Amino acid sequence: MDYLLHVMILALIYSVFAMSLNLELGYAGLYNFGHVAFFGIGAYVSALLSHAGVPVSAAMICALAAAGITGALLAVPALRVSGDYFGIATLVFAEMFRLVCLNERWLTKGPMGLPGIPRPAWIAPGVEGMPAYLLFAFLAAVGTFVFIRRLTGSPFGRALKVIREDEHMAQAFGKNILLFKVKAIVAGSVLAGWAGTLWAHYISYISPADFTLTETILVLLCVVLGGRGTNWGPVVGAIAVVFFGEAVRFLPIPPALTRYVAPLQGIIYGGILVVIMMKMPNGMIPEHRRKNT
Amino acid sequence: MSYYLQLLLNGVIAGSVYALFAVGLTLVYGVFRFINFAHAELISWGAYLTLMFSSPPVSWPLCLAVIPAVLLTAFIGFSQDWFIYRPLRRGSPITLLIASIGLSYMLRNVLRLIWGSDLMTFSLPLARGFEFSGYYVTGIQLLMLAAALLFLMILYLLLTKSLMGKSLRATADNLELAAIMGVSMPKVSAVVWTLASVFAAAGGILLALDTNLEPMMGVANLIKAFAAVLLGGAGNVWGALLGGLFIGIAENLGVAFFSPGYKDFVSFAVIFLLLLFRPRGIFGLLTGVR
Amino acid sequence: MLRIQNVTKAFGALMAVHGVSLEIGDTGVTGLVGPNGSGKSTLFHLITGFYRLDQGDIFFGPHSIGRLPPHEISRLGLIRSFQHTRPLPFMTVIDNLIAAAPGQTGELIWPLFLKPARVRREENNLHEKARGILRLLDLLPLADELAGRLSYGQQKLMELGRILMAGPRMILLDEPTAGINPTLIRRLVEVLHRLCEQGIQIFLIEHNMPLVAKLCQHVFVMDSGELIFSGTPKQAREEPRVIEAYLGRENHAA
Repeated sequence: MDYLLHVMILALIYSVFAMSLNLELGYAGLYNFGHVAFFGIGAYVSALLSHAGVPVSAAMICALAAAGITGALLAVPALRVSGDYFGIATLVFAEMFRLVCLNERWLTKGPMGLPGIPRPAWIAPGVEGMPAYLLFAFLAAVGTFVFIRRLTGSPFGRALKVIREDEHMAQAFGKNILLFKVKAIVAGSVLAGWAGTLWAHYISYISPADFTLTETILVLLCVVLGGRGTNWGPVVGAIAVVFFGEAVRFLPIPPALTRYVAPLQGIIYGGILVVIMMKMPNGMIPEHRRKNT
Repeated sequence: MSYYLQLLLNGVIAGSVYALFAVGLTLVYGVFRFINFAHAELISWGAYLTLMFSSPPVSWPLCLAVIPAVLLTAFIGFSQDWFIYRPLRRGSPITLLIASIGLSYMLRNVLRLIWGSDLMTFSLPLARGFEFSGYYVTGIQLLMLAAALLFLMILYLLLTKSLMGKSLRATADNLELAAIMGVSMPKVSAVVWTLASVFAAAGGILLALDTNLEPMMGVANLIKAFAAVLLGGAGNVWGALLGGLFIGIAENLGVAFFSPGYKDFVSFAVIFLLLLFRPRGIFGLLTGVR
Repeated sequence: MLRIQNVTKAFGALMAVHGVSLEIGDTGVTGLVGPNGSGKSTLFHLITGFYRLDQGDIFFGPHSIGRLPPHEISRLGLIRSFQHTRPLPFMTVIDNLIAAAPGQTGELIWPLFLKPARVRREENNLHEKARGILRLLDLLPLADELAGRLSYGQQKLMELGRILMAGPRMILLDEPTAGINPTLIRRLVEVLHRLCEQGIQIFLIEHNMPLVAKLCQHVFVMDSGELIFSGTPKQAREEPRVIEAYLGRENHAA
């Protein structure tokens, strides 16, 4: 039962993370492969501040701000290139972030990581607090969903789609494409930071090993599997990926073979990503129901 | 002074291996116009397969084990293209990039499934070092340098002296024009994937002999190779070669000034700065308005 | 209204536009003609900021626009079309139009959440405006169709509608009638006349000479990147240099 609660909390947090990536990747067409860095910034800033005695709620807000500011600082140079080069630039950024976390021991304790991250005052630590944290994560996910739906269903979201489809056309109609993209990245980064703080305060221990290329691939999988550029796509994708990942643990696997579980999972995740690109590029919930072309 | 020269020497050796990785990556980019993330796995598979053939039950001597390992890596390279990239070629480079990221993750986990995630090494007789007037080089490092030179020489002859090389360069220049002029795409593609796989595998084996094997070795070196490719201008073979050398030297000299933990930062910073300050100049990405 | 001063643009060794100066007042419809590759489209890209000038400057009203980015030029009321249609195929026709409107409050994040009533009101007004324009273009029955499902000619009309949504003071059209049928051409010409009556200036690249003669009060002729003639369409037909630019090439082709 507790385990089910745990999986549900993870699925909700991953939904928030996937929704934040979808804002950039799905709606704005910005293939950010370094999104995990903002998840990490949210987690680290929040954890460090609460260790320093700042109340958890204030630490969370600072974490969102830090993620947003970093997003803007990354966006301005990285947007000088587009398409796959933007993807590589952001991927490299995430690796730089991880190296800094690994090496600046005075701040992050390096590979040892930060243990004992407190939960918000109104949620009990340990197993007793799980139902309350589930409620918290649920409200956070609903809030994110409503926020993103408002954002993408608005003239702002419409302009993002115009820019995604045809930048020259957008410029010819007075859209400042750089500004729109920076805003999309900042909003996406803030929400990724939000997912990161939710995760750090839940799991209570973070280390640089939590913010690797693997996490980038996982969240990318959530978005493209669910459906890019749709509101429900990333949520569905995140739930599917998390539940699949956790369900594997319940398979009757003899202890001698458990070391094969994680690689097999990886093979399946990677394989699904390839198959989606080849057979189902629009995911489970396609953005357009294309009749022709 | 000699300390820096020693670092420089180490840099040249590391750089020559990076050049091997970068050449394949840039060739694929030049001809197919996408960044093949799964190039990383060709590097690690080359090394692991060599380990497999040189350890029990096969236990071939190293120089023999290399042959099936490289052939199998080339087969992986071909299969990547045939089953995944070729059907996707009409799509956007992003689709190809995501597919290659997925493929890379998949291949890496197959590797973990078979050999596990722990560090492994070739059980060689303890490598004896050579000393040249105060500079220290191991036999394997000499081998790295020699092999890299040999491979690059072969590449040079192939590209400049053979008809195939000319077709290849024409294709990298302009895909459509080359097709019109009767360059056979299947042949070019076969040559490109052979070169990319063989060079990646060779580099991976050399690197593994010098250090060790671990599943992430490919990805870590791919980023260096990518920095080299960007430095040299995407699609430019000789540029990638020089870029690889530059990255190797910069990294090793950097050790004198920064903590070794930041060694990888050099290639990251190179990529980032290049994208920042010379995005158009390097790639010739200035897209026209139609 | 539009003044181009000694504008030059080279691509490598190729002089695409060389020392072109011209001025458009309140003439109504002005044509830009010339053989293929004479630099007409490049000149349009230069005016609208999509290419950077090598030399010279461009003024729109009192503003120097020679160094402005495309979106700022667009916001001054100088709106262009592209040579090939560029619909947003997965949006409806009416959304294609609404998306083109400038200065929408709802495109800013804070007002979206803090002033929802204002955003909704603006959106309703844009909807009304777009319907009005579609009615003018005879496209109203197709308002909720996906733009990708329109015929090429209908897409061209829709693009004109998009331009009108942007509240233009001057319109630059790159071959507006290329590839569309005579009925739609007539419709287009009618609409252009209506726009002139509202005081909107039109500057167009066009290969259909009879249409240019009928539509334009003034034409400029370009050849090999240079401006070789400025005058009425009637004078242009008698000008030896213009005839040579066209016939000389036709003889080559023959």
